[in-house]
Amino acid sequence: MSKLTDQKDLSSLSSNHKSKKKNGLMRNDDNDSGDDLVKGTLDIEYEEDELEKDWSEVIKLNKKNLQMIIPKRGEKDYEPDGTDIQELLLYKARKAMFDALSNSVRGTTVKHQVKAVYDFDKHKALVLNPKGAFLQTMGHITNNGEFWLDFMEFLYLAERGTITPYCLKSNSMNLNQLLPSIDDHNLLPLSIEDIYAFFKTQREIDEFSVYSHLKRLGFIITKVEDDDNDNNKITFSPKVGPFKSICGYQLHSLFKQITSLFVSHKNNLFNGLFYNPSHYKYIKYTSTPQIYNNLKLLIPHVEVPKTLLELQHRKQSYLLNKNKNHSNNPLKLTFNVWKPQTNYKKKIPELPDYQIVVYNKNDNKQHFPTNDDLKNIFDSLNYKFEFLDKSKKNAGTINWDDHSYINGIPRSAILSKNQKKKITNSQSETINNIKEEKRKTLRKQPSSSVSSSTPAHIKQIKRLKNGYRSFILAVMDNGIISFIKISEADFGSEDVWYVPTVQAKKIKKPQYQYKKRNIMKQSNTDQKV
Amino acid sequence: MAKHNSRLNNVRYKYPLPIHPVETTLPLPELLPHNPFSWIYWFYKYYRLVYSNNEDNLLETKITIDVIGGDSFPHIMVRDKNDMLYLWENGFFGTGTLSRSEPTWYTRMNQIVNGDITLNTGDINELEQITRRRRLERLEFKKLREKLQMELLELKKQSALSGSDIDSNGGLDETESLKRINDLLLKQREQLRDFKALQESYNKQNIGIHDNVMDNLKFDYESLLDENGDLLSLESLELMPVEATFLSFALPVLNITPRELFRKILPNNDNSSYDTVHSFIIHYVAYHFYRSHGWCVRSGIKFGCDYLLYKRGPPFHHAEFCINVMDNDPLYYRSNKNMHDYTWYSRISRVIGGAKKTLILSYVTRQTTKKQIMEWWIKGQYHKVFNSYEISEIIYKRWVPGRNRD
Repeated sequence: MSKLTDQKDLSSLSSNHKSKKKNGLMRNDDNDSGDDLVKGTLDIEYEEDELEKDWSEVIKLNKKNLQMIIPKRGEKDYEPDGTDIQELLLYKARKAMFDALSNSVRGTTVKHQVKAVYDFDKHKALVLNPKGAFLQTMGHITNNGEFWLDFMEFLYLAERGTITPYCLKSNSMNLNQLLPSIDDHNLLPLSIEDIYAFFKTQREIDEFSVYSHLKRLGFIITKVEDDDNDNNKITFSPKVGPFKSICGYQLHSLFKQITSLFVSHKNNLFNGLFYNPSHYKYIKYTSTPQIYNNLKLLIPHVEVPKTLLELQHRKQSYLLNKNKNHSNNPLKLTFNVWKPQTNYKKKIPELPDYQIVVYNKNDNKQHFPTNDDLKNIFDSLNYKFEFLDKSKKNAGTINWDDHSYINGIPRSAILSKNQKKKITNSQSETINNIKEEKRKTLRKQPSSSVSSSTPAHIKQIKRLKNGYRSFILAVMDNGIISFIKISEADFGSEDVWYVPTVQAKKIKKPQYQYKKRNIMKQSNTDQKV
Repeated sequence: MAKHNSRLNNVRYKYPLPIHPVETTLPLPELLPHNPFSWIYWFYKYYRLVYSNNEDNLLETKITIDVIGGDSFPHIMVRDKNDMLYLWENGFFGTGTLSRSEPTWYTRMNQIVNGDITLNTGDINELEQITRRRRLERLEFKKLREKLQMELLELKKQSALSGSDIDSNGGLDETESLKRINDLLLKQREQLRDFKALQESYNKQNIGIHDNVMDNLKFDYESLLDENGDLLSLESLELMPVEATFLSFALPVLNITPRELFRKILPNNDNSSYDTVHSFIIHYVAYHFYRSHGWCVRSGIKFGCDYLLYKRGPPFHHAEFCINVMDNDPLYYRSNKNMHDYTWYSRISRVIGGAKKTLILSYVTRQTTKKQIMEWWIKGQYHKVFNSYEISEIIYKRWVPGRNRD
């Protein structure tokens, strides 16, 4: 299909966009009359990441200014209309794409080449002279100063052309022994196909698909390590001594058991009375909420943790019971994901923005998570619980640096310690940090100011729609990835029944009219009968 | 107009439940927590106001239902015209068999037969009429769009022709014709948008597109009238089994005991085993749960799920949530046959996402043994049965990485 790209065209798109928003407000009036114009913009809005770039502009960018953003293409024609002009546009668009690809510079200059050597035993790759932007977010450094890439990182960077992949010429050679005198004679260059052959399991291939997809979109990703080697891992719940945590947890659960017994017993007694049809003869209700409050005692619901304290409690009890729970659940957290950012610190990262579980739809050993599986995953989560920022109990936003710990020490403490060291080194760094801080607060402010002014019932709907703890499920189906956000909901803690406002109660007039009208209606029908 | 409507709605649908609170006309005196005398006075007043008159929460006469269709396909019908309206206006229960949802057949027919629209001037915007009007509007819009598209195609063809003789007579060159096409496109869009706005403004002023569908309708009215020349009420209101249960078990509205109702709507209830009641119980548990927190719960079959949740009711808001009741019985989901695979989840979620609603998976878990449940069930202690199921919920939503980067 041909593309009509033009400055005007783009502007018309954006104005279209506005009209769509207006329509959104008036949803009550035209629900099912979404015309194609509106639909078109809706698609654009929704699938922004899937929208192609306009290749005809890419060539110009290559030569001039790489900082500029590549403009989006125009709209698609609906169908081939047989006109030459459409053919011409289509041809031009296609040619532009090929030109852009064929004119680009590829390969690396020898000076900037970074070699990485794959180690068969470790299933990792050693980078010989590490340099480049990827060092900030990928790989890890051993105690003796070697820079290692995980297999996924190795393949990803090799695919991008950032590193040149090698392996040792013969298996008998040991990488560690050769290290001081390594040169091209010992090394065998690898093709991308070769590296793909090194995948160990289907699961690893699935995980790599998700990894590279998100990585290309700019996210920062690390693998979730097992909770067992807890050290040097960032967590939102500080480690408590085993004795204290066991006591705390068991006391808590005992207390819960006793109260739940009491509550359920009381409820049964109460419900027996309430659902006896004759009880309305003895008890009179003067408002509808009274009736609702009694009705809602019948069905119990699972309480969802909503505050930081409750969340920490859940996590600790999960860690204690983990060995019991661990039985045969193949689904567990796979990736930590951070939104694209420049101030990511590899050694002491913040809590991740999302956590991802990878699940292969066609693997017979796996199944779509049941409710118990989901609960298990929710309890193991360890990320920036975004709903805490919005809840009213924690007015304003949470400073996660104060509430995330590495080896029991708050991240903010570590940061300030590091900063003190750095101040002596360079002052520009701190200025940068201050700038960063300012930017952060600026970014956060609007959200907090909005939340304070929004009316309660809109906040409630937002709570219901967004839920509480959440994770991303990446479903793999023969190489196709679908992402789903799964969150805990709690409809049991929210009541939405209509309570007439005081104003409505005071104005008795319409009510009176209504009664009158009703009587009129009845009298009318009476006459007829 | 909209404001007028919403006020009428507020009056018409004043009560969210068919059991009404006792009206206290006089305000209660102030209750001062630290002053015991005020308590006594308050209770005295309360007693005087609430209990001295004979009014209570119950309906004067309970609503009678018919269960037809036998064991295999029971239908729960409300026949009385006033009862039908009562159930609709007090909690939006049931669906009119000859209407979209509110039982409006009688008033619609009355308008045609008697030309009588004086009865309910406020209700001109009945759902059926709105739908009809929207369809007509949409048709007109499509016609216009088609016309404009033809114009555009014509221009494209022309410019292609002239484009081919650039060399010979130096006619329109390519950029020139492209510009013209673009200009026309923009103009047409503007035109379509204006047309749409015009339609909407008509809508607001309530100037209907004159619908001649009803005028052309000619059939034998006589068969619809009784001997006095009055319209017969042919429509009845059908209740979902869970609705009927709510109206007999939870609120004493229907003239039937829960036990009697279950005997009629559940197959083989006499030699009942747990499996025959299981599915009904978990669906009722979910229904009651959402009803009791103030939602108006209606069937979600049109969106491929179990229930739709309306805030207050269909005339007030669009349904924002779709509930799918999930069987969380371990025996049930451990057998692979019953387990839904991802395709199933993806299907409902895309349908519901397309309607801009949020999908909630509502897991219902049994907390006691099947034997215990059946014991209570047979004894008729239904509150104990329903009380031993627990609900936990999951929000299921598609996630697009590109939209969640910052």
